[in-house]
Amino acid sequence: MIEVKGFSFTYPTGSRPALHDIGFEVGPHELCAVVGGSGAGKSTLAGVVSGTVPHLTGGCAEGLVQVNGRDLADTPLSGLVGQVGLVMQNPFNQISGARFSVREEIAFGLENMGVPRDEMAARVDTVLHDLGLTKVRDRSPYELSGGQQQLLAIGSVLVMRPTVMVLDEPTSQLDAAGSALVFEALGTLREQGVTTLLIEHRMERLARAADHVLVLDGGTIVAKGSPGEVLADERLEEWGVAPLRYTVAARRAAARGLWPDARPLPVTLDAAAEGFGATVAHLDRGDR
Amino acid sequence: MSTVQFSPHTTGNSLVHRLSPLTKLTFAVTVTVCAFAVVDYRWPLLLFCALLLPAAIGAKVLRRFLLMLATFWVPVAAVLFVVQGFFFPEAHDVIARFGPLELKSEGVSYALLTALHILVLMGGFFLLLLTTHAATLMSALSERNVSPSLIYIVSAALQIVPTLSRRATRILHAQQARGQVIHGLRGRARALVPLVGPLILGAFTDVGERAAAMETRGFGATRRPTSLITVPDSAVQRSARAAMMLCAVVAVTVNVWGVMR
Amino acid sequence: MIVRIDSLTFRYPNGTTALDEVSFSVSAGERVAIVGPNGAGKSTLARHLVGIERPASGTIEIAGRRTDGLGIAELARTVGFVFQNPDDQLHAASVTKEVEFGPRNLRFPPARRKELVESALRRTGLAQSRDAHPHHLSLGERKRVALASVLAMDTPVVVLDEPTTGQDHASVVLLGKLVDDLGADGRTVLAITHDMDFCAEHFDRVIVLEDGGISWDGPVDAWLAQAADTAGQAFELPQMTRLGRRLGWEGSVSTVTGFLEHLAPGADPAPAVSTAP
Repeated sequence: MIEVKGFSFTYPTGSRPALHDIGFEVGPHELCAVVGGSGAGKSTLAGVVSGTVPHLTGGCAEGLVQVNGRDLADTPLSGLVGQVGLVMQNPFNQISGARFSVREEIAFGLENMGVPRDEMAARVDTVLHDLGLTKVRDRSPYELSGGQQQLLAIGSVLVMRPTVMVLDEPTSQLDAAGSALVFEALGTLREQGVTTLLIEHRMERLARAADHVLVLDGGTIVAKGSPGEVLADERLEEWGVAPLRYTVAARRAAARGLWPDARPLPVTLDAAAEGFGATVAHLDRGDR
Repeated sequence: MSTVQFSPHTTGNSLVHRLSPLTKLTFAVTVTVCAFAVVDYRWPLLLFCALLLPAAIGAKVLRRFLLMLATFWVPVAAVLFVVQGFFFPEAHDVIARFGPLELKSEGVSYALLTALHILVLMGGFFLLLLTTHAATLMSALSERNVSPSLIYIVSAALQIVPTLSRRATRILHAQQARGQVIHGLRGRARALVPLVGPLILGAFTDVGERAAAMETRGFGATRRPTSLITVPDSAVQRSARAAMMLCAVVAVTVNVWGVMR
Repeated sequence: MIVRIDSLTFRYPNGTTALDEVSFSVSAGERVAIVGPNGAGKSTLARHLVGIERPASGTIEIAGRRTDGLGIAELARTVGFVFQNPDDQLHAASVTKEVEFGPRNLRFPPARRKELVESALRRTGLAQSRDAHPHHLSLGERKRVALASVLAMDTPVVVLDEPTTGQDHASVVLLGKLVDDLGADGRTVLAITHDMDFCAEHFDRVIVLEDGGISWDGPVDAWLAQAADTAGQAFELPQMTRLGRRLGWEGSVSTVTGFLEHLAPGADPAPAVSTAP
């Protein structure tokens, strides 16, 4: 459970707030996606919800951030271990540097939590399997490709079974197969009741996976709602977010009377296929 | 993709490989302490030939073992012979003259003994390094309540060199691909800022982020972290370690008694 | 042919084959996307073009010269390489100085240098940030600085390694326009990308690498038309291609404009770039 109310934050070196008057809630079993242009404050928000901002960065914070009912302003980071998992943008920096193989690296967090060896081995092997890393389990984390390191970073957090997951562009270096594995894992987590905050630019996957979408622009929330509402908004590009191609096609078709009147603009392939299917049938009848 | 070979560890399944790292560590310390017990150059030489060499052969690492000694021990021994042979204080027995320099037998004897002591010390620890994966050694230490921070620092230090060198190679390629010529002394000097700049700036940003990642992954959260890796050990090995430690104590006693006399 | 690669084979130090008998040529002004799953050898192939990797066997010819005897810095006159991670190269105290680094190394006269730097800054949308310290910029902006620093070298061939990764929408639109412009200027663009929509909208030709070999080389639309649905597991085909298939259309559409043209020919005169009314 994540609850943010009237939250503003300015970095120690910042001249203006990186986040301004932010408010939203994400409940268990929910996945909230955060989108926005470069410099909109997305990564800062990820840091805030995972407690690293302002605990490690310093800076001036105002307002309320609660995770699982605990006020983060009075919770040291060590109090959140195992509850909040953070997957950062650069997987390289998430590697501990103190473990010599992928398998040990994934176990690092569990070792720190004092999980018994047998349970640890089982949990590590499950994560290796789920993320397709079994083949490279004995390799050094530093010898992996960028995409594999990204999967490793995700795995090393997943294995700790946090109740709140915060992920900052976890699929940026992954191909289609890799990102499918990640979204599958996120789906499983959601079923298990995990609260997820996901910063992501793969709009298509996001439209299917998210319960809510937040749009950040210049540090404020400029839109929030269901993927259908937010991603079909015509101001999306102004906010620095890539619209889905189907949505663009449907909007342009609608301007020419080629999209069924009462139908909302599509944000999934299924909805687009249905809508354009109706248009095609209509055109075929020739009574245009 | 260039991979840097840094860890001397060789994979293998010999008896020596399978021993607990603690046993090998105890062995390295004991054999070193014992080498000092008797003031006669034949004693450390015997220890080396009778214990260390057979162990290296048994572990099938003899070639790399000798290679490491050639790299690290030979230069040290050479310096010892020159410095002690020519400049040993209050030595009189001149063996040979090289211009104004006189090679004296007291100095040579002292250098020989010291060099062989160092040979045993290096041999013991190289054997440990060659047959033990760093991860196993670290796990073994953490099971003995060695501070997690200390273990972290040692393990990270073992990996930082190859990581930095990989990054430096990438930076070097990137700058050359922008037309930077790195031939000759002037070229190299000029290349320094564009090479070192990104390396240092990168390291700084990395440190902050990595600290955040370590915190959220619970580093230091419990006083007794567990370890994924099983460290092989047995009652026999535990008794062997006790016996070796006893040997070491005896050796120290003998040495002190010998010196006193 | 500005780039000619013949039976290029490359093995990693551990002996595994990364590229196996790869051959293709690119003519001046072509825009070629190199696609394939992670680990297929795309980056390794691109790194051969700038001389960072050397083939185990086979030859590479750039602008009519064999690259065997040429160093990375010499090849830099012909091939500009934009690396994936900008932080491996940014070192100067300002964006302008950073962009000037390449042209200075190539000993361009000051007037030409200035002109190239200005044009590169303008094309990458960095004219406003010219005096900023590169390390104070966001990752997306730093990537654009790295791109500008290569454009300013005015090389006939530009190689981009995952240019859209970590870029926001505005930057991707800018990048797309840049690729189009470079092609129009007669410069050759090779880009490694896993963004199939970007590939479909801005490239004429696609080379598909799988397991170190070329499995397709030809026009993008022709590839999409024959690519099996199962290829979607590895490639995430363009959104409009998949929509066209769902509608049971023959052949292949890959862009919004192409789609609307197929839906109702002549009905959509709007430009493809923006959705603004």
